[in-house]
Amino acid sequence: MDLLWTISTTLLLCSLLSILWKEFDRRRNRSCYLLDFVCYKPSDDRKLSSELCSDIIVRNKRLSVPDYKFLLKVVVNSGISEETYGPRSIIEGREECPTHDDCVDEVDDCMYRTLDELFLRTGISPIDVDVLVVNVSMFAPSPSLTSRIVNRYRMREDVKNFSLVGMGCSASPIAIDLVNNIFETRKRTLAVVVTSESIAPNWYCGTDKSMMLGNCLFRSGGCSFMLTNDPSLKHRAKMNLKCLVRAHIGANDDAYGCAIQKEDDEGRVGFHLSKSLPKAAVRAFAENLQRLAPKVLPMGELALYVLRGFRHRLWRSKEAKTDAATAARVNFKSGVDHFCLHTGGAAVIDAVGRALGLTNYDMEPARMTLHRWGNTSASSLWYVLGYMEAKKRLRRKDRVLMLSFGAGFKCNSCLWEVLRDLNDGGAWDDCIRAYPPQTLDNPFIEKFGWVKEA
Amino acid sequence: MPRAPLPEFSSSLRLKYVKLGYQHLVDNFVTFLSIPVMVAVGLELVRRGPQEIVGLWRALELDVIHILCSVFVIVFVATVYFMSRPRPVYLVEYACFKPPSNCRVPFSTFMEHTRLINSDEKSVQFQMRILERSGLGEETCLPPANHYIPPHPTMEASRAEAQLVIFSAIDDLIRKTGLKPKDIDILVVNCSLFSPTPSLSAMIINKYKLRSNIRSFNLSGMGCSAGLISIDLARDLLQVHPGSNALVISTEIITPNFYAGNQRAMLLPNCLFRMGAAAILLSNRRRDAGRAKYRLVHVVRTHKGADDRAYRCVYEEEDAEGHTGISLSKDLMAIAGEALKSNITTIGPLVLPMSEQLLFFLTLVARKLINPKRKPYIPDFKKAFEHFCIHAGGRAVIDELQKNLELSAEHVEASRMTLHRFGNTSSSSLWYELNYIESKGRMRRGDRVWQIGFGSGFKCNSAVWKCMRTVKTPIDGPWSECIHRYPVHIPEVVKL
Repeated sequence: MDLLWTISTTLLLCSLLSILWKEFDRRRNRSCYLLDFVCYKPSDDRKLSSELCSDIIVRNKRLSVPDYKFLLKVVVNSGISEETYGPRSIIEGREECPTHDDCVDEVDDCMYRTLDELFLRTGISPIDVDVLVVNVSMFAPSPSLTSRIVNRYRMREDVKNFSLVGMGCSASPIAIDLVNNIFETRKRTLAVVVTSESIAPNWYCGTDKSMMLGNCLFRSGGCSFMLTNDPSLKHRAKMNLKCLVRAHIGANDDAYGCAIQKEDDEGRVGFHLSKSLPKAAVRAFAENLQRLAPKVLPMGELALYVLRGFRHRLWRSKEAKTDAATAARVNFKSGVDHFCLHTGGAAVIDAVGRALGLTNYDMEPARMTLHRWGNTSASSLWYVLGYMEAKKRLRRKDRVLMLSFGAGFKCNSCLWEVLRDLNDGGAWDDCIRAYPPQTLDNPFIEKFGWVKEA
Repeated sequence: MPRAPLPEFSSSLRLKYVKLGYQHLVDNFVTFLSIPVMVAVGLELVRRGPQEIVGLWRALELDVIHILCSVFVIVFVATVYFMSRPRPVYLVEYACFKPPSNCRVPFSTFMEHTRLINSDEKSVQFQMRILERSGLGEETCLPPANHYIPPHPTMEASRAEAQLVIFSAIDDLIRKTGLKPKDIDILVVNCSLFSPTPSLSAMIINKYKLRSNIRSFNLSGMGCSAGLISIDLARDLLQVHPGSNALVISTEIITPNFYAGNQRAMLLPNCLFRMGAAAILLSNRRRDAGRAKYRLVHVVRTHKGADDRAYRCVYEEEDAEGHTGISLSKDLMAIAGEALKSNITTIGPLVLPMSEQLLFFLTLVARKLINPKRKPYIPDFKKAFEHFCIHAGGRAVIDELQKNLELSAEHVEASRMTLHRFGNTSSSSLWYELNYIESKGRMRRGDRVWQIGFGSGFKCNSAVWKCMRTVKTPIDGPWSECIHRYPVHIPEVVKL
């Protein structure tokens, strides 16, 4: 009799304990730690000065003088410095007919240099990598870029590799989302993500203005980072992922077509950026913030936001308020300490900064990244993060929000919590002392000053 | 050729029965063990008689509460156990693209176009020889842009092909399942050789007005085995998100990949690759368990990229004249065989019955310790699977696998007939093969299917599905109009 009781009670206790343990284990596994990240610094012979940009632009004999003026104006007013990098094939004059090897070499250099350093700094061997994700939006050779990495570093046979392509400038959070989902299904997993962009095969050599902007703004860059959900590596990790939100408004035709790769009237392939891009960006941004706000903001700020919303509805103000403006009245700075904004262009950074109510100090990392590295597409967020780290802004328990936009149209964001005081210089090491500079203006503004009058 | 001597029937028969007995013994070991125990208990009960048993029961002094508590505990423990198991992933339905007949490329059309496009007579002869021995039929299809002389591979034409094949497959799937586009939670698209920005997944989101919080992923460059990589990714996502469904699209867009040069190793894809696409609906919702066709049991991925030979055997490069194409090395078959062996080493223990595993283990021990020259035991995978879907990469691949796995002609019939009717449609070929088996009325409840895909890298990926309900012969679908003509005999060489 007592035996039966004892057995029943023991079984019950065991079941309860096992439920609790499973829940605890699941929550432990849910963590996604950023062990380290390495930003790509190309060699100095690949620097693109304004002079060189002007030479490259002029090489395209199909353009007329007004076109040259327009392009030079874009370059000079872009907020991009003389220190950004371009692909070798374009600098050497092969922009209109890059070979397959040119394209592969461009991406290889980025991937291998950053991965070599990443493995060196973390002390982790490539054979221990369980998941490998590569995202390069506009270049997908066979075998895939992930296979190139598996071959070079002799990774294991059962490595889970994914090659994400065509996902635009906001592909970093997408890669993190993929890895995070896999982390929830497996314990003690190590993932390496490589993000970069391929410029060499995508140089536009036609005369359509909407497609020429890409030529002026995109620059070479990339980043490799290592993620893990192994709690034993927590003490070495830099940051911990708190939440991730993806918003895709591709269902709207204008949004889908505002940033699209297609042929111009003469059959040349280029990346078309339409005039409705800012509108699509605002909509995607609002969609993302609506879902992000409850996860990021403290209770007090959320309550205030709800109250303001009630007041607006009750009092019915005369001016129509758009969603983005309402978002502006939410103080994101109450829940976020640092903002990594995608360096799509000076106008994009300013617009996002205004919408979020950010100060110049908050927008400085993004502006300086645009100045020093240009628009490096999906990896730009990591250069911005690198700036913050090099400036010793990232302290323990700080919260960092990464926000980016991409073709499709998408707005993706993720929130990180810093786990320890970070001090690495990284790719900014040799130049951080010169930042922020006195002026962001192009030094050749006098030489190309005539473009201001154009 | 001298006739082989007649085999020793009597001894081989005896061996066969010994082997059968051994298999039954090991596979049903637990049952065999429990029978004597049950018999002993039964005899004991009978011996004691019902009166004594009732007396024993009374002596326990159980009352209602105790019984209720015990029942409660048992039910509770059982619930905890069942709820903690990983969520099953069901394949609710899938649809394959049916190419329109105006895209057909019979041999005569192919050769005529080749002669007009290619001035080098040796290349033309080479392609003719490949086509003769390829195992392809006269009804395979190329996209409209490839019918131009020379082919007209613009980005617009590539997008048009993508829209044609993908949207047809998805429309078909929606019609069959009543799926609402707004209901889709996860979207995974794989297309190896065409990767526009925005991605094909964004194109699908735009056309079908999918939700803004959809989890979409676009995989590219991953070769002919990418279909199973997408299934693997969808499965991982479904494990993490309860009550969701996933739409997986596997396709290959042929338009931008016509090779215009004369390098032989790079002309092969022109001859073999054809149009195709598949749309697959996966779900982990319990209510879909009733109408699902298959349940996903295992996915195993093997990547041989660490070996340089394997890595280089399917390689995109430029020839001396600057034309880009995919070069297939002569080692392809050997490498495919090795990749398969690695994959089998992982999947074998998961799917083979105990008898085969034990035999394999014993033979391995014997080889290591006693006699290294002894032939390795190849486990009999026919014991683990009823149906095989081998990627229709080419006749040689199917031959090689048939030999390696010791399969009969009927087992590889789906692969051969798919290659004949549709050509090498890359990652979607596995779904055409599965559809063939269903169209032939061979798919029964409880049947296990093994899908094997190979791809550049070099990868070998496998998926194991279990059929959940006997599949009625489909009335529509890519095979509906021609299934009655199949299987056909495919000669070694078709003289052109």
